[in-house]
Amino acid sequence: MESEDEINILVIVIDINPIWWGQQAQREPKFTLSKCLDAVMVLANSHMVMARTNKLAIIASLYQESHFLYPSKNWKSGDDIASSGDGKYELLSVANDLFAEQIKKLIDRKVNCTQTETLLAGSLSRALCYINRVSKEVDAGQDMKSRILVIKAAEDCTLQYMNFMNVVFAAQKKNVLMDACMLDMDSGLLQQACDITGGLYLKIPQKIALAQYLLWVFLPDADQRSHLLLPPPVHVDYRAACFCHRNLIEIGYVCSVCLSIFCNFSPICTTCETAFKMPLPQMAKTKKKKVKTVN
Amino acid sequence: MASLSEEVLLVVKRVRQRKQDGTLYLMAERIAWGPEGKDRFPVSHLYADIRCQKISPDGKAKIQLQLVLHTGESSTFHFANESTALKDRDATKELLQQLLPRFKKKANKELEEKNRMLQEDPVLFQLYKDLVVSQVISAEEFWANRLSLSSVEHSLSNDSKQEVGISAAFLADIRPQTDGCNGLRYNLTSDIIESIFRTYPTVKQKYAENVPHNLTEKEFWTHFFQSHYFHRDRLNTGQQDIFSECAKQDEKGLKSMVTQGVKNPMVDLLALEDKTLDEGYGTAAAPSTSNVTKTLRENSNCAIIKRFNHHSAMVLAAGLRRAEPCSDQTSETSSTDGNSRDSDFFQPPLKKVKLQEAIEYDDLQSDCRRKPISLNLKKSDRYSHGPVPLQSQPYTSSQDILNSIAVIQQEMKSYKPRLTQVMSSSAASSAITSLSPGGVLMQGGSQQTVNQLVPSDLQSELKHLYTAAGELLRHFWTCFPVNTLFLEEKVVKMQSNLERFQLTKLRPFQEKIQRQYLSANLTAHLEEMLQAAYSKFQAWQSRRMMRKT
Repeated sequence: MESEDEINILVIVIDINPIWWGQQAQREPKFTLSKCLDAVMVLANSHMVMARTNKLAIIASLYQESHFLYPSKNWKSGDDIASSGDGKYELLSVANDLFAEQIKKLIDRKVNCTQTETLLAGSLSRALCYINRVSKEVDAGQDMKSRILVIKAAEDCTLQYMNFMNVVFAAQKKNVLMDACMLDMDSGLLQQACDITGGLYLKIPQKIALAQYLLWVFLPDADQRSHLLLPPPVHVDYRAACFCHRNLIEIGYVCSVCLSIFCNFSPICTTCETAFKMPLPQMAKTKKKKVKTVN
Repeated sequence: MASLSEEVLLVVKRVRQRKQDGTLYLMAERIAWGPEGKDRFPVSHLYADIRCQKISPDGKAKIQLQLVLHTGESSTFHFANESTALKDRDATKELLQQLLPRFKKKANKELEEKNRMLQEDPVLFQLYKDLVVSQVISAEEFWANRLSLSSVEHSLSNDSKQEVGISAAFLADIRPQTDGCNGLRYNLTSDIIESIFRTYPTVKQKYAENVPHNLTEKEFWTHFFQSHYFHRDRLNTGQQDIFSECAKQDEKGLKSMVTQGVKNPMVDLLALEDKTLDEGYGTAAAPSTSNVTKTLRENSNCAIIKRFNHHSAMVLAAGLRRAEPCSDQTSETSSTDGNSRDSDFFQPPLKKVKLQEAIEYDDLQSDCRRKPISLNLKKSDRYSHGPVPLQSQPYTSSQDILNSIAVIQQEMKSYKPRLTQVMSSSAASSAITSLSPGGVLMQGGSQQTVNQLVPSDLQSELKHLYTAAGELLRHFWTCFPVNTLFLEEKVVKMQSNLERFQLTKLRPFQEKIQRQYLSANLTAHLEEMLQAAYSKFQAWQSRRMMRKT
């Protein structure tokens, strides 16, 4: 019965930071943003074709904003759907066209950037909100499995740490898997996110074969992954960095009031200015001889 | 044992034991039997050793008494005197019933307690087996810390035993069975009898008056069940029934209950009458003309409802009435209804409290708690990046940025998805090889955890070793600082215990592991802990030597 099918929703968050991609185009002309977008489109189509009840959403993550590429508010369904002419499943052709159109519009705008880093936490929270909304629209009795795939190009932004961790814990609470596909360099934050939510983290060695990696590793959903032989999980470095020097430490001191981490002991916490009362070590008491004054 | 130095309480002649005639003597502290004419007592049991006594049922030809000891043995005595056998046996039984409880060994309770603890906790049982049975430490040391906790709990639980209430259905639970020939058999247990006495004090009074002078217990209960007091319709209560008084008292009690009413201002019993809304809705109150001539059915319904109410009120009252000692018997017999006690409790202050409860809500009161201390952060920007290490950001000049954006915009202007040319087949196949088992990305997946390498029986043995070692080390470390002589001796003893443990338990386990060619070093931590204990002991000993010299 159709109503008994599980709904699988995949939200792809692509990092299209133009600065990084522009530099990448100059570094490696074979793999440019268009190639990446093509590969993502292949994955998106494959996901929608796997089952009729699969749902998809694509979010583009730029500096300072995140944007829903599919499904979009501007999508006018029904009228003037240009048929692709090659007999493709209509849903796929509509999706692809919409995707291409939206991204062209997005890149074309003139933006003045004050920061150059990708707004990942914002995109992830929008993805979670979308998943939450869709899960409410589902019929009673239907299961919904959701996962988020992050395709990351640029480096991590540490300023987003708090928001990012909040998003990760919210995803864990909601049983949303977070997978990560790293194009360039490792990201400690995304490693932690994948470990906490139970997803896959992969840094791909060859960018031009991105589509193959996506289809092999990230297309199967959580149930199917247990039957497949996939790359083993990476060892995550969970060591915290101290607040004073930003060094990674294994054993440290934590203020009980504000929970800030220090590598050395100090009697006053520099973050919240709490003074700690430490018990002094017991001094060996020498016997005092009573001097009797004889009057 | 031959001389009777104790006081003799009862002598019963013609008692056979193991087909031998003899005499049974009950003394102050023991029971003994000797064969006829002889002076010695081959069978002698202390009352403290006897667990229970059993008697043969009434109908049997042989009249016997059996004593079961704590050890499980039993001795049987056959009362062979034709005329007085039954009396003898009963007299012996009564005397034993009085004497045995006095001598119940207190130490036995401890043994039972220990057994119970061992049975309830399998970990403790295993520890006991490992340490005491294999003679690593003695049983007293093992129980030294544990029993002190449990005996406190035990005594507390004994003192504050909760009272058992009365089931409202106790009369209905009796369930008479047909005897086969027109009779009914009622099975009365002591619980039921107690319930009847607690609920209906008048019946208890009648019992006290009549038994055992006028009637035997059996006759009393037969009368009780036969009387109409017990049956549904109490019609002919005017006859010669010992329970007719009870019925009259019940009526009086019910009337007084009704007049007292309920003192709770929130409860309005009169509002519970049937009300009529209109013709056909609810029951119309019968007009007053037919007051006198109530139908027979109405009468019996009225009577049975009254009896139900009375019964429920008595059950509740009996539950409220605490089991006071006999000094309070006068008040019990005088107040046949329990509400007279409760009326003492419902005083005006209670009325005020109940009214206040109904009016006010705690949640809506103003919050007059102390203000909590707020967190005062001086450098809150530290939280924005959190505990992540500083990463060097590559510097991009603004010119670079503008260039990159321009490039991308240029590229995207002419973007058309070409899904048939996403990648070349060589790229795809190299990606597949790196993802296949043994490929670049698949390294490190075939490591097995220690959990999977070591078989489960070895794992459980290791766990037992850990608990045993933990127990010994706990005993050892609690001896420090060594202040008293007792602790000194204990430390030395524990040291030897630890060495013995290592020799008898740890080494064989290590050899077993080696035999199975397991490379995992499972006992390194245990060895470390034992080494720490040994070095502490040596340091303490050398310091002691230095102090002595």
